[in-house]
Amino acid sequence: MLDLPARISDWLLELVRSRHEVAHLFVDGEQALVDAGGNLEHYGLTGLAMRQPVCDQLPLLEGMLPLPESPFLLQSIGMPSGRVADIHFFADEDATWIVLLDVTTEHDDARKMQQKAYDMTLLSQREARLIAKLEAAHRELTLAHRELGESREALLLTHNRLQKELRNAERYVRATLPEPLVEPFAVDWRFVPSNELGGDSFGYHWIDPEHFAVYLLDVCGHGVGSALLSVAANNTLRSGALLNTDFRNPEQVLEALNRAFPTEKHADLYFTIWYGVYHRPIGRLRYATAGHPPAIVVSGPNSERGTAHTLRSQKGLPAGAWPDSQYRSAEFTLVPPARFYLFSDGVYEVSRPDGSNLEYTAFEDVLTRPVPEGKSELDELLLFAREFRGDQILEDDFSIVKMTI
Amino acid sequence: MIQKKVCVLGSFGVGKTSLVRRYVQSIFSDTYLTTVGVKVDKKTLSVGTQEVTLVLWDVAGEDDVNAIRMTYVRGAGGYFLVADGTRAETLEIAKSIQSRVAAEVGPVPFLLLLNKADLQESWDLSREPVEALESSGWTVLRTSAKSGENVEEAFQELAKRMVS
Repeated sequence: MLDLPARISDWLLELVRSRHEVAHLFVDGEQALVDAGGNLEHYGLTGLAMRQPVCDQLPLLEGMLPLPESPFLLQSIGMPSGRVADIHFFADEDATWIVLLDVTTEHDDARKMQQKAYDMTLLSQREARLIAKLEAAHRELTLAHRELGESREALLLTHNRLQKELRNAERYVRATLPEPLVEPFAVDWRFVPSNELGGDSFGYHWIDPEHFAVYLLDVCGHGVGSALLSVAANNTLRSGALLNTDFRNPEQVLEALNRAFPTEKHADLYFTIWYGVYHRPIGRLRYATAGHPPAIVVSGPNSERGTAHTLRSQKGLPAGAWPDSQYRSAEFTLVPPARFYLFSDGVYEVSRPDGSNLEYTAFEDVLTRPVPEGKSELDELLLFAREFRGDQILEDDFSIVKMTI
Repeated sequence: MIQKKVCVLGSFGVGKTSLVRRYVQSIFSDTYLTTVGVKVDKKTLSVGTQEVTLVLWDVAGEDDVNAIRMTYVRGAGGYFLVADGTRAETLEIAKSIQSRVAAEVGPVPFLLLLNKADLQESWDLSREPVEALESSGWTVLRTSAKSGENVEEAFQELAKRMVS
């Protein structure tokens, strides 16, 4: 006990009572309420009944009595009135004194401090979890990036190998093409394969001293498969390896080709072909086509704009597509001076980067322009197509043969 | 009618107050308000033909500095251990509290509540430690004070165990 004068002890008691709203309960050994006093209303403890079980009237005392030790303190307990109290228990033989002291102010101050501390802690924990997730995601991304790099490298190697093989195939196709002619009339050509190598090839040769064959074929699809069939068909024509066929007769030639290269025996590939025979002594061009675009003859001297003649004929089905296809020849007389053009669809089926297509009349216009001395309209046409396309690499093979009569 | 003291215990911020509010008042708020000391509430329910009043002690959460005062759990007839499914470390704290409470009040019934089941996409608890606790005899429920999932069931189950 404090060794203080009574007036100071009384002052201290008064201080506690005024600041902490002292209230008390007295409970007997049977846990019945036998006395209560002080500011009970402050804690919401009204209507208490004497000689009745205290736990029924103040449920927070459930399980607390009898006291296992004394004194005993429950700190910061929310009371029915909403105030917060420290509850002090004191044993008095079998009975118990319960003293309530208001600590609402201290509780609220502590709660504000704790709220800030916990908010910060929760925030930093959340941040740590997010950082851990980000780091894990970063590790996964780094790994995926590395794997992607390795895949890309492997893909690049494969692509380069394929490109090399395509270029080898292109060299082979080019090697089968005939040299340009100068006499007795000029024959020139341009062959620019697409990036994937298409199925174009062409040829011309003397069948006999009077008949000159000229042809151009285009196998469907792109790639080495199309190029192989194209070369095979071209070699067949060049070597005259079609039995019982008069190579001066275009319709016979196309029918024989159609039988020799059925699509079911050539990986579902078929081809279009224009085949013509120029009978030089009389200037007659006899021709037939299997699904191929018509050739064009431009008449008139090089120095003037020429007149275009489209060599139309019955356009038979592509060779190999249908076993019983029949073809019919047509004729055109070449009157000098004239230029004859045979080409694949890749020459005029050119699209701009925006998807719009070259019009056929524009293509025809380039062919009929006067040809300046020392220049070739074939180069002009290739330049025109590339400029129109906006790229040096064209979508399809660019193949054109020109005979100048 | 019988009356039982039930303590709701766990780390701070796991949703103890929200679970009690959801059960007693059927309300939920996303705003986190910390608890200092104890909030006492009560609710009466039926277990079979027996009416039971649960005196619910919502005890301030444990943190690195302040352990739960064992004076609060004195006389408890049962208790809930609450962990936050989005914070794996709160399961360890729940296990630690259980060992201290068992030493204080003995083998009274308890349930482990893995709260915040509505935040499944942010779930941070792996299955193994939970399955290990279940194997050792713990009853574990996934709860959500926000959606009310398993809240009523949890209090009903604990009450049943306390009166049986």
